[in-house]
Amino acid sequence: MARMKFICDAERCIECNGCVTACKSEHEVPWGVNRRRLVTVNDGLPGERSISVACMHCTDAPCMAVCPVDCFYKTEEGVVLHDKDLCIGCGYCFYACPFGAPQFPQAGAFGLRGKMDKCTFCAGGPEANNTEVEFKKYGRNRLAEGKLPACAEMCSTKALLAGDGNVIATIYKQRVATRKKGPEVWGWKMAYKEDGNIAAAEVKS
Amino acid sequence: MKLATWGSRTGAALLFALGVAMSASAQAPAKADATKAAPPAAAAAPAPAAEAAKAPPALAPNSTANIGWNKPPEWSKVETLPQYASVPGRETNVLVEDHGHKWRELRNGPVTSYGGYLLLIVPVLLILFYFIKGPFKLHGAPTGKLIERFNSLERMTHWTVAISFLVLAVSGIFILFGKYFLLPVIGASAFSALTVFGKTLHNFVGPLFMFSLVAMFFIYVKDNFMGGSDFAWLARMGGILSGKEMPSGRFNGGEKAWFWLGTVVLGTVVCVSGLILLFPNWNTGRELMASANIWHAVGAVLFMALSLGHIYMGLATEGAYKGMREGYVDETWAQEHHSEWYADVKSGKAAGDKDKGMAAQPAAGDD
Repeated sequence: MARMKFICDAERCIECNGCVTACKSEHEVPWGVNRRRLVTVNDGLPGERSISVACMHCTDAPCMAVCPVDCFYKTEEGVVLHDKDLCIGCGYCFYACPFGAPQFPQAGAFGLRGKMDKCTFCAGGPEANNTEVEFKKYGRNRLAEGKLPACAEMCSTKALLAGDGNVIATIYKQRVATRKKGPEVWGWKMAYKEDGNIAAAEVKS
Repeated sequence: MKLATWGSRTGAALLFALGVAMSASAQAPAKADATKAAPPAAAAAPAPAAEAAKAPPALAPNSTANIGWNKPPEWSKVETLPQYASVPGRETNVLVEDHGHKWRELRNGPVTSYGGYLLLIVPVLLILFYFIKGPFKLHGAPTGKLIERFNSLERMTHWTVAISFLVLAVSGIFILFGKYFLLPVIGASAFSALTVFGKTLHNFVGPLFMFSLVAMFFIYVKDNFMGGSDFAWLARMGGILSGKEMPSGRFNGGEKAWFWLGTVVLGTVVCVSGLILLFPNWNTGRELMASANIWHAVGAVLFMALSLGHIYMGLATEGAYKGMREGYVDETWAQEHHSEWYADVKSGKAAGDKDKGMAAQPAAGDD
C-alpha cells in the first residue's frame, strides 16, 4: 500500500497561492478556514523561499495522540482523518500540531469553536465515499475517485507534490541531483522522522 | 464596403509600423539610455554577473536570510520564527510550532499518569483509613443546644463552590482520563456525546465557580488567618492519629491550610489558566494556551486530591456535614472540635446564635 505524503519543493514554489485556492474551491471549505496556506521566509530579501503548508499526515500524529475523544483515525494509506461527529471542539489538536493544520470555524467565548476542520489529503471522512454528507463535512473525496490532492494537481510549477511517499521522494531526489541544491525536504523530519533528509545523500555523491 | 477594406489595410499598416518601432527600441536600449540620460542612470545599467556576486546586499538587522543572492534559508533556524503569510489569522505565518510537542509529552505523559495515580491512590487511602479509624464520633452526649456555625450566606457560597467544583471535576476527568477508562466501555459515539455535554457544562459552570470562589475568599478569610497554634495543629495532624483532638478556633489548622492552598493558591491557578483557555476569541497563541492547559490540569488534579480529604473530613466527622448543610452544630460538637471557638461564642466574642434551643429552625408560621 502506498504511504501518502506531501513534499513542497521550496526551490520551485513561487507563492502563487494556487494550492490554497484550489483547496478552498475543491472542498468548499468553511469561511475563515484555510486547509492549506503559504508561508514566505525572508520575504522581500535575497534568498526568499515560500512553502505551502497543510496537514502533513504525520506517522506519529500529535493531534491523534491528544484528542480526548479519539476522533482521529489513519487510513491504510497513512492519511490522518477525523470524525466530525465525534469532535468536541476542545482545540487540543490545534495546540499539539506543529504545522498549524487543525482549525476551527468559530472562535467564540466560553470555548465555542465548532468542529475542527483540516486537510484530508482529499480523502474525505468516515462517511461513505463521495456522498453528499461526506462532501458537506470534509469536502471532495478525490482519492476514492482515483485522483491525487487538488492542491498538488493544480500547482503551476509542480513545487507541491502529493502521492506515494516513495514516488514523490524519487522525483524530488532527481530534482535535487539535477539542480545540485535544495536538498532538505521541508517538514519531513518532523512529520515522518525516519526519512527526514531523504535527498541529502544524493547531492553529496 | 470600400471604407471597411481601407480601414483594415490602414490598421494593418499601423500595427506593422508599431512592431518595427518596438523591436528597434528593444535592440538598442542601452544606447538610448546613454544618449538621453545623465551619468547616474548609466551606472545603474545591468552590471556583469560576476561583479554582482561579489557584493550582495547587506542584511537588515535580525534578518534570517543567508548572505548571497539566492541561497535558501537554513530551515531548522527559521521554521519556528514568524514569517510572512498572506492567509490571515493568528500564527498562520509560523511554519513549525514546536511547543505543541512539549505540551503533548507533558499532558499525555506525567500529567495523565501521575495525575491518574494520585486520583486513584488518594480515595483508596481514605477508604483504608476509614476502615481502620472509622467515623469521628462525638465523645460526649449531644446537649441538644445548637450554635449557629455558618450563616445562610456562608452556606450558600460554600455549596455553590462545592457543587460547581464537583461538576467541573467530573467533566474535567472525562476530558483528561475519559478515553482510558470510559471510552472503551461505552463506545466512541456515547463518549463523545457525554464529553460534548461535559465540555459545555465545564465552560459555563467554570465562571460561576470562579465568581463564587472569589466571594468565598472574602466571606471566609476573616477566620482563616494562620496563627502559631494552627501550625502546631498541622504539625501533629490535629491529633487525628492519636485520637486526642487539639484545640482550635472557628477553623482548625487543616481547614485553614485547605483554605489557603485550595481556595487561594489552586483556585487562582485553575481560574486564571481556565480564563485563558475559555476565550479562543481573544486570539491567544498556541504556546500560551498549551501551557495554560498544563497549569489547569496540574492545578485541578491537586485541587481534586485535596478536596477528597476535605470531603472525607466533612462526611466522616459526625455532625460536620449537618453543620454546613443546616448551619447549626451542637454545643458538644463545638466544644470537642473547636474548643477555642466555642469559648469565644460562649463569651460573646464570636458570632454564633447561642440562644437557639431545641427548636433550632422555627417552623413556618411559628411566632
